[in-house]
Amino acid sequence: MPVTNEGFEPLIVAFCCNWCSYAGADLAGVSRMSYSSNVRIIRVPCSSRVNPSFIIRAFQRGADGVLVAGCHPGDCHYHSGNFFTRRRLTVLKQMMEYLGIEPERFQVRWISGSEGAKFAMVMNSVAEEIKRLGPNRKLRDVR
Amino acid sequence: MKRIGVFICWCGSNIAATVDIDRVIAAAQKMSGVVYADQNKYTCSEIGQAMIKDAIKEYRLDRVVIGSCSPRMHENTFRKTVESAGLNPYYLEIANIREQCSWVHKDKEAGTAKAISLIRTAVAKAAMNEALFAAEMPITRRALVIGGGIAGIQAALDIADTGFEVDLVEREPSIGGRMAQLDKTFPTLDCSACILTPKMVDVAQHEKIKLITYAEVDKVEGYLGNFTVTIRSKARSVDLQKCIGCGECIAKCPSKVASEFEEGLVQRRAIYTPFPQAVPNKPAIDRAHCRFFTAGKCKVCQKVCPADAIDYEMADRLLTNQYGAIVVATGFDTHKLNNYGEYAYGKHPDVLTSLEFERLLNASGPTGGKILRPSDGKEPKTVAFIQCVGSRDKAKGNPYCAKICCMYTAKHAILLSEKVPGSKAFVFYIDVRTAGKDYEEFYTRAYEECGASYIKGNVSKVFPDGDKLLVRSVDVLSGALVELSVDMVVLAASVDARADAKELAQKLAVTVNAHKFFTEAHPKLRPVDTQTAGIFLAGMCQGPKDIPETVAQASAAAVKVAAIFSKQSLLGNPTVAEVEPKLCSGDLSCMAVCPYGAISEQVVEERRGREMVPRKIAQVNAALCQGCGACTVACRPGAINLKGFTNQQILAEVDAICL
Amino acid sequence: MQQKVEGYPLKEYTTKICQIAKEALENREVTAIIGWRKKDFWWQSPVVFLEDPADVQQLVWDPFTIYSPVKFLLDWQESCAAKVGIFVKGCDSRGINRLLQDKRLERERVAVYGVPCGGKADAEKIRASFPSKEIKSVTLIGEELVLAVGEREERVKAEAYLLDKCLSCRHPNPVVYDKLVWEEVSPRQYADESRFARVQAVESLVTEERFAYWQRQFDRCIRCFACRNTCPACNCRVCIFDQAEPRWLGKANDPADTLNYHIIRAFHVAGRCFECGECERICPAGVPLQELNRKLIKGINDAYGDYEAGLDPTDVPPLGTYRGEDPAGFDES
Repeated sequence: MPVTNEGFEPLIVAFCCNWCSYAGADLAGVSRMSYSSNVRIIRVPCSSRVNPSFIIRAFQRGADGVLVAGCHPGDCHYHSGNFFTRRRLTVLKQMMEYLGIEPERFQVRWISGSEGAKFAMVMNSVAEEIKRLGPNRKLRDVR
Repeated sequence: MKRIGVFICWCGSNIAATVDIDRVIAAAQKMSGVVYADQNKYTCSEIGQAMIKDAIKEYRLDRVVIGSCSPRMHENTFRKTVESAGLNPYYLEIANIREQCSWVHKDKEAGTAKAISLIRTAVAKAAMNEALFAAEMPITRRALVIGGGIAGIQAALDIADTGFEVDLVEREPSIGGRMAQLDKTFPTLDCSACILTPKMVDVAQHEKIKLITYAEVDKVEGYLGNFTVTIRSKARSVDLQKCIGCGECIAKCPSKVASEFEEGLVQRRAIYTPFPQAVPNKPAIDRAHCRFFTAGKCKVCQKVCPADAIDYEMADRLLTNQYGAIVVATGFDTHKLNNYGEYAYGKHPDVLTSLEFERLLNASGPTGGKILRPSDGKEPKTVAFIQCVGSRDKAKGNPYCAKICCMYTAKHAILLSEKVPGSKAFVFYIDVRTAGKDYEEFYTRAYEECGASYIKGNVSKVFPDGDKLLVRSVDVLSGALVELSVDMVVLAASVDARADAKELAQKLAVTVNAHKFFTEAHPKLRPVDTQTAGIFLAGMCQGPKDIPETVAQASAAAVKVAAIFSKQSLLGNPTVAEVEPKLCSGDLSCMAVCPYGAISEQVVEERRGREMVPRKIAQVNAALCQGCGACTVACRPGAINLKGFTNQQILAEVDAICL
Repeated sequence: MQQKVEGYPLKEYTTKICQIAKEALENREVTAIIGWRKKDFWWQSPVVFLEDPADVQQLVWDPFTIYSPVKFLLDWQESCAAKVGIFVKGCDSRGINRLLQDKRLERERVAVYGVPCGGKADAEKIRASFPSKEIKSVTLIGEELVLAVGEREERVKAEAYLLDKCLSCRHPNPVVYDKLVWEEVSPRQYADESRFARVQAVESLVTEERFAYWQRQFDRCIRCFACRNTCPACNCRVCIFDQAEPRWLGKANDPADTLNYHIIRAFHVAGRCFECGECERICPAGVPLQELNRKLIKGINDAYGDYEAGLDPTDVPPLGTYRGEDPAGFDES
């Protein structure tokens, strides 16, 4: 499918856990792996720190996509944080899709500190998907 | 209004090449709360840091934002910088404009725009940064070492030699571990007992070391500096105070069972010391095999004991002690060969594991150090050594390399040639790995001087052939089928983590990998630490390693422990959760998700009309909290917040990013 | 327009309820009773607090004792240290468990009187078939609804006039009580099939249709918070939506904020909602909130195993626990 929405530059907010995904983002940098500049990272200690309210807020304020990235299950720096993340965000994601939000808008991925290449790849694919979807109008504040 | 200073680092050309620094500075100057913005070629340099300190004083800055490399790189450096200028170190915020901007975006326009956005986000967060202070915690200056093999022995001795108290817990009746079972050690061929037993005696005699044998760790609570550990001292049935270690009881005991120490090659008694040089050299009754405990009568040991030391009534005792740090040195199990029926292990007496062969070599072993075939007591003239049995075998065994087998097999080949003149060793291998000081030379000696034949190939089958064993393989270098008739087969069984490693890990709140080896905090830079502060690893329990590596790791763990004990007090992590009592409903959803048991219930008094009434709410133990923030999301009313990553800060970051 | 209560067994229920309340108050087992009384119109049976044994004759049990009395327990507990007696239907009793599980209720401070419930009547459905002004009373006899309309008596099949939420009720009998008012009733056999029917209907739409559908629903929302206020699972001392610092929810009537409210409200009751359906019934705008709550229940059941909230107060709710092998609703590669 060709990329439509020519000229549209999406804004993507990525919540990254400090120990894995943020480190993965740093590794992507150290390895000079170029990825979409539309991604803005918010550093959180653990993916389990990400409150669904933060995600909705990002959409309200105009983010076109939101990504939560954490350590792979079993690798959580805090032992079990991402297991809770998995349940919480599965529920949230199911609900948002049920309410008619495109699944690509809100994504959750596991990216380890050694997966710089994966980080760059995920950022590019998310940016690509969001670009294809066009701007977020459904969850955005009108005022 | 906050007075925020923004400092943009060029990082030479690393940032400056793809980010227009002047434009970032100009944009920063317009941001709310920013009273000063400047740039520097290398902010982390002394000059760069001095610039920050001067600006803090000159412009009365109360928050600092640095646009530079990743906070994972220099956050601590810059925290110290702002602290030395009189600010709380947590007034600092770093915008990662190198790893997450200039290095990943080639387009200067996009890079500059993103850098400005990242600075704006950091400014928004910094404006909400509060002064944070680490909680001070006292330290119990006593260490617990779990496991009394060479790793535990070395760690205990090294800690004790720095002057701190150590308790060494060993689950067997004697310390010594695997190394005590070995005959000689590669690559020097020192006698294992000759170098180990003096250390065992040192442990027993060291005034700072308390030896707790025949005991296991039951429960671990607490945290770095303040662990409370319950140790189950198993009923030994022998009073160590009274026993004089004469061995009379052992000699007269009528019950026999396979000796674990001798790898089942001979039998021991039900009352036993594992081996002659045991420390303490006092027996224990193996109740599962003792005639009195199984059949109800016997008591021979009690009758013959000249010291009245036998106590059948003895029960397990729970000892609860305080420790400041823990070293885990629980060693390994040899791989069970159930999946390797093709090698006839367990079916033919002359197919042995390497550790069994080791016992045959040992002068105090079942054959007095003579290599004899278990089947007929004859000296084997030809021995096939099969490598990687259960190692590097994703299908049936462990995917990893057991690391020690190549070297001990070279040792076995050398010792075979010395002990049985005219004998011949055949070694079937996948690869020979000899990384280590003097290791390659040792291996070379095995085939050059001692005549060992190395055949690259996986043995497909071993089967009896008269009074011999036929070994069938392929020599992959020549492609030829190999069939060898040998007198004995020795299998280099892989090493496994202890079967109960996972249970211990759960007690300690540390993690294990897929193969149940304990996980180090960082595979390269923190190979001795676990993820749980104050708990360290030594030896095979962390992964396959040889004796020198084990000893080195044990000494490293000891230094880590001593470093903790050398501090006046410990500083906790200041970015911990805290409860806002007004908002807390007391439903303790937070407690359910806390991995550290840091949240408990507390009763607060609240005014209701004219009276004070008690109400239950959550409270956070700042010493236990590691700051993950899982609780903050479990809490529906947002009553529990994470310092340094508060709801307000993160929402402000979101708002700033989306501006 | 006092209702003429007649018929069996509702009258017997009412008598028994009054008797239990009277005894409890007279014996000083409790200092107050929470139940229902009849108000001015035939469709009104709101919750009442009684402290005087002489007042217990006000108590009533009829097809309109719909309102959940459970959340009043929070106010009661906050206001005094005395013990209270409360009459609960099956759904209400799960609300009691909800509060117990959330440690918001001291069990020893409440006497729970369970009333097995044959379902409550939907006044709207009745009005659609009968002239409201002429209805004098409505009562339930077995599976029939008996209406006094003008001078005549009408008997109709009750099922057609019950509240939707009662038609899909799985636990008509109280699950926690100190005293049972009457013998247990048997659950409706069709309750299970109807449970997720509406959810599946919405699921079958494509993304844009789903969005349009929900926009139509939420467009009506006036953010009065009635759904939250009535919900026993929404029992925080200070609701996140009422906080000013941080301001989790904007105050302006912005559709995005309405969506924010509904997403977060549903998320907060995920794994905790016990399907009493009061949120949806009480909504003045007719937002089908059960379709959202039940979607989450269905999702949790499918992913993490069947769980019914409000049955065992010692459970840890599904979002408060995990299993290592849990599936995820996103790409785990």
